[in-house]
Order: sequence, then C-alpha cells, then structure tokens
Amino acid sequence: MECREMSVLIHEFLDGEIDELSNQKLQTHMRTCASCRQHLQELQRAIAFVQSASHIQVSPDFTARVFAQLPTPTRKKRFSSWLRNHPFLTAAAVFLFLMTGSTMANWYERDNTLQIASSNMDKLKIDRTRNVVVVPAGTTIDGDLVVRNGNVEVQGEVRGNVVAIEGKVVLASTAHVAGSAESIEAIFEWIWYEVKNIGNDLLPVFP
Amino acid sequence: MDFVEKRLTQRAKRGDREAFAELIEIYKDKIFQLAYRMVGNRQDAEDIAQETFLRVYANLHTYDESYKFSTWIYRIATNLCIDRGRKKRPDFSLDEEVEPGQGMDWYSRLSSNEKNPADSLVTQELQETVQDALSHLAPKYRSIMILRYIEDLSLQEISDIVKLPVTTIKTRIHRGREALRSKLRFM
Ligand SMILES: [Zn+2]
Repeated sequence: MECREMSVLIHEFLDGEIDELSNQKLQTHMRTCASCRQHLQELQRAIAFVQSASHIQVSPDFTARVFAQLPTPTRKKRFSSWLRNHPFLTAAAVFLFLMTGSTMANWYERDNTLQIASSNMDKLKIDRTRNVVVVPAGTTIDGDLVVRNGNVEVQGEVRGNVVAIEGKVVLASTAHVAGSAESIEAIFEWIWYEVKNIGNDLLPVFP
Repeated sequence: MDFVEKRLTQRAKRGDREAFAELIEIYKDKIFQLAYRMVGNRQDAEDIAQETFLRVYANLHTYDESYKFSTWIYRIATNLCIDRGRKKRPDFSLDEEVEPGQGMDWYSRLSSNEKNPADSLVTQELQETVQDALSHLAPKYRSIMILRYIEDLSLQEISDIVKLPVTTIKTRIHRGREALRSKLRFM
C-alpha cells in the first residue's frame, strides 16, 4: 500500500537528505517489504555501476593542441608578457601600466599602490607617506614621467611629458617641463599609443 | 574556490598563458570525461573538450570571479555537449526518451566501432553497458547523472551549473536513477 510513498523516501535516502522520522518509517517498512528492499538495492547497484565506469584520460598532446588553436598574442598581450619577463622593473617598483580601451585595462590588476614609470628613477624623490613623487629642484629627468595613484611635484626639469593618473601634477615656480603636464582622472582616459611611446624608452637607468 | 585556482584564473585573465595551461591540466580529464560520457566516443569528446577550453580562453574577461571556476567551465562544456547532440540529430527533442527496444542511438553506434585495447574484456563489457544505459537517457537527464555520479558534484553545484533550482535537479536525478536501474538491473 505505501510502497509508492516509500519510493519517494528511498530517493531522499539516496540523496542523503532524509529526515530522521522518514528514515525510521522507511527502515520499518523495508523490514517487511521485499519489493522495496529490492528496489533500493537495484538503485544502489545502478549507481555503483555508473560510478565504476573507469575514468578515461584525454590524449597526451591535448594541451598542445588547444594551444595550437589559440589566437596569436596581440600587441597588448605581448606587452604584458614583456613586462613579466623583466621582473627587475617590478622589483624596482617601476611599473608600466594602464591603457585603455576597455580591453586594455583588463590585462592589469587595478590596485592603489603608487606606480611610477621613468627612465631616471634614481633622480626622483618618493614620499610614500604623502604618495608624492618629487622631481627635486636642480635635477633633470630625461623622457616622460608617469605616476599612477599619486601626485607629482615638479621642482626641476623634465624633458618629456609629466602625467599623473588618478593623481595631480603640481608645478613649482622653478619647474620646467618640455612636454605637457597633465592629470588623468580615470585610467580609461589613457590611450594606448601614448603608453606605447613610453614603452619605447622604458628601460630605467639604475645608478 | 581554492586559492591556487583563484590565482590561476586571475593570471590567465591578464593574458598569462602559463596560468591558462595549468588550468587546462587541472580540468582536461574532467571535461573530457563529461564529454565522453555525453557523446560516447573519444573523437567527438576531444573536440568538445578542446572547444570548451578555447571558449574559456576567449571569454575569460567575462568570467565573474565570485563564482567557482569549475561551475563556469562545466557549464560551457555541458552546453556544448547538448548543442552537439542537437546538431547531429536535428529533430531530436530534449524531452524525448529513446524508445525502449529501439536500441542504440547515434552515440552508441559511433562508440561501438571503437575498442580500447587496454581495457580488459570484463571492464569493457561493463563500460559499454553503462555507456549504453547513459545514452538511453535524454540529454538533460544524462548530463545531470554524469555530473552527479561521474564528476561527483553536489546537488548545489549542479544547480549552479545548469542554472536550475535544486528541486528540479533532484527530480531529474530521481528519474535518471530509475531509468538506469531498469537498464542495469540484470547486470
Ligand atoms: Zn514496499
């Protein structure tokens, strides 16, 4: 009579989701009902058979064949792997970053640490407590100076552009900037070809 | 998700091919296994597994890290398997059960031409019987039974993969188990 109802409980039991009361009911019923006992046993065997289906492995050159079909790296990807291959840049906390077009930004982790790109790292004064990069009076920086997540204070000379991304450029009365000095509020305003130009003379000169 | 996998997906997202290769190593056999049990032959299964990783690569930028990576990749693979079944059998309805007695469908016909010499006879017979029983389930049941009992996933994760409520998953598993029981009871 109650075998139909028991079938529901049997499946709850197999899902491991039967409550105590239902479980007692099921066990009591099965003690006297051979057909429900058999039903459960057959289900358990079917599951065991499926689980025992041996786990086959993909052919050994699978990964290589996937890679052969990947699109060739675009400029932005080559650029990021170039960065990875020059860890000394990272070590010196010199970073090249940013770029946009919505796609570009994806390749870089956004974080709030101060990042600087310049070919004259050694001449810069970095005030980490105030997040300010200072070009001291009397010094000359060759090429562009790019700072992200911080301000730039120019007292000396920069023979290039000064750019602060998510920061401000402050020019002292003694400042001399050959190119333009600009603040960029959000990273997406940055344009790829500008970064490319920085990339060309990125290699910093260490003392 | 475990930490290593999270780091790998973040690195792969930034275009790091080594990280992507490591993700392939972690998932290739699982995805291949799912595809093989869905379509029943190595060649189609490898094609589907490859296509899965190519889609993962192409869509990494849309991957939302608040979800498990496994959920996302299983979803891509499951959809590809079901799409392939549709393509090969244009009139195939997802709800249609293969008629009892009709015998093997295209999946098992293809697989029956392939023998894996490494398998012992007994194992092979069991393999074929299980594969045959699975192939008689409609794809929407088959995929869920494979995710549950071969990939060993929880009801909740299966529900996340196929985007259906857990109660629906349970119903399909109950029916799937009954169908497998009737196929395998005389083994
Ligand atoms: Zn009974």
